[in-house]
Amino acid sequence: MKIIILSLLIISSIFALSNHEVASKSDAAMSGFEDSISKLTMTLINARGQEKIRTMKMKILEGKEEDKSLMEFLSPADVKGTKFLSYEHVDKDDDQWLYLPALKRVKRIASKNKSGSFMGSEFSYEDLSAFNVKKYRYSGDATISKLGDKEVYISTSIPISKYSGYTKLVSYVDTKTFLVQKVEYFDRKNKLLKTSYFGKYNKLDSVYRITKITMKNTQNDKTTILVWSDEKIKNGLKTKDFHKRHLKK
Amino acid sequence: MKRLLKKVLFLLLFCVSTLFGEFETSGYIGLNSQSYLTLPKGKHKNNFTAKQEIKLKYTKEDFSIFANIYAQEDYYDLSNDDTKHNDRTFIRLDELYLKYDFENDMISVGKSIKFWGALEVKNIVNVFNQKDFRTDLLRSDEMGAYNFTYSHYTENGEISAILKLNEPNQPMATFKYAYYTFAPFITYEDELQKSDDNYKPSIYLSYSGTLDTEYALDYAFIYENGYDSQRYFLPDGPLDGSPVVFKQYAYTVNKFMTYNTLVIGATLIKLEALYAIVDDDKYIANYSHIAFGFEHMIENFLDSDTTLGVIAEYYKYKIYDDDKYSDLELFETMQNDLFVGLRYSLNNANDTNIIGGAIIDTEYDEQTYYMQFVSRAYDSFKIEIDYYYIEPSKDTLTPNALLGRHQRIALDISYYF
Repeated sequence: MKIIILSLLIISSIFALSNHEVASKSDAAMSGFEDSISKLTMTLINARGQEKIRTMKMKILEGKEEDKSLMEFLSPADVKGTKFLSYEHVDKDDDQWLYLPALKRVKRIASKNKSGSFMGSEFSYEDLSAFNVKKYRYSGDATISKLGDKEVYISTSIPISKYSGYTKLVSYVDTKTFLVQKVEYFDRKNKLLKTSYFGKYNKLDSVYRITKITMKNTQNDKTTILVWSDEKIKNGLKTKDFHKRHLKK
Repeated sequence: MKRLLKKVLFLLLFCVSTLFGEFETSGYIGLNSQSYLTLPKGKHKNNFTAKQEIKLKYTKEDFSIFANIYAQEDYYDLSNDDTKHNDRTFIRLDELYLKYDFENDMISVGKSIKFWGALEVKNIVNVFNQKDFRTDLLRSDEMGAYNFTYSHYTENGEISAILKLNEPNQPMATFKYAYYTFAPFITYEDELQKSDDNYKPSIYLSYSGTLDTEYALDYAFIYENGYDSQRYFLPDGPLDGSPVVFKQYAYTVNKFMTYNTLVIGATLIKLEALYAIVDDDKYIANYSHIAFGFEHMIENFLDSDTTLGVIAEYYKYKIYDDDKYSDLELFETMQNDLFVGLRYSLNNANDTNIIGGAIIDTEYDEQTYYMQFVSRAYDSFKIEIDYYYIEPSKDTLTPNALLGRHQRIALDISYYF
């Protein structure tokens, strides 16, 4: 009996993955798209169930560690043509600019605080920035559990930035594909703030791309559904396509 | 016959899809209502303005055409009684230009509006376009200028050469309108009087970019040779109360300008500065204008999701010859002024913002206080409510003193499409 238990312990320690390994493999599973062009539809649902729709066009350039993105708002009509350009950085604050078409003005944005709501949604700027393993601290092993009929790793990550809106993130990651299925976000008081549910993934040119995320805020009962459509990857976009000149185009 | 009709229809469809495949329209229709609680005698105590703007954009690969038309109608202009008219009803072509983007270059030709600046209250280097005096004087509203622009893009910046081909006239409303600040015996003629050849273009050379160091810096330097954006007015007779005509005069300068934004954590540090060397003019001396300030953002202020922006700016204007026109004759309002303000963003689905501030003139002892509420309703309507209180100087004839003690409440509702 002792031998069996010892063997099981050895086997489990061989196959157990650390939180860091799960995060790295999850990051790798979603990487390699090079660049992406898609349309985003964001549905904001308040506690009374009333809905508002926001639409955007989005371009992303995948970097080794730091992505660039250009977002153009299509609706509501009064912000149509507003553009948001972001250069992500691991070791310093992101570079961000906003283009306001009514004023023809390119405005620099201070990106230190990342916890602010994006367009009044339950997503923060932090939630929408590309996942990067280096932005979090990890310790210990991930545990294995069930989420519906899927076997998942439950992995905890702690944001390094003191300006993050969260004290920790608990991710549920498919043990076979390493695709994220669900994330729980804990606020600065370490209380569960919101939960994101990852919908269907599309496999485009051998790379997995998410098509839908539902973010439910447990503290205010609001929900935001973010849907990606018409996504195309590996379009041959270059750094030049994310030059500030494209804000005014 | 049928085959021919099919061919014609196909050709028509092809042409339409080619022409209008990437054709975008946007704009708004709005109503603005203003009530003036205190203002000089003889002025309308309220004002109602209907306004419309339509923007058209056609894109075909790297080629684009933009057009922007603005129109407004003043309630009092509809009156049969000419003495009540404000002369604020017009249609204006703000932009109509063609643009072609090359890989690292861009050329554009036509009428357009360009923005330069970093600060919030007044952009002293935003000199390319002139303001329209017939709209709300307390808001920025610029008229397009015909120009040819060439830009070359570097990895982190842009070098541009701009040839501005015209200086538009600046029409004004009549005395009855609250923001017509001349005395009732003055008639304003809007035909611009130029010191040089009518066809002399203004040349602008600009260099801008981003420094990617520990603290990010956006910088821009602009040199101008041509007509100055600052203007002066001269009467055709003595100002003794008898009717006179005022005309606006433009003179030429060599002007050096810069605007910069430095990012330090959650704070933006901003600087705008200019120095103008005036080409021999009887009334205007060389001058400088410098303005600097900061904007600090505090997240989750009072409530989660909300943001408070704390803004402070200081402006200093200096003329280098005391024998020529001073800031008072030149209607310069931000000559030695401090601004402090707050912007409270609810970051909600309606993008609600509450903005408040005070502009304190430290030289002439006058103050401007304001509060604005901006939000959205039913996704298509934008609502703006503002309150202004201006306490003018008691012993100096400043532009605010010409306006008189002023209080206003305004409501603006626009439908966007």
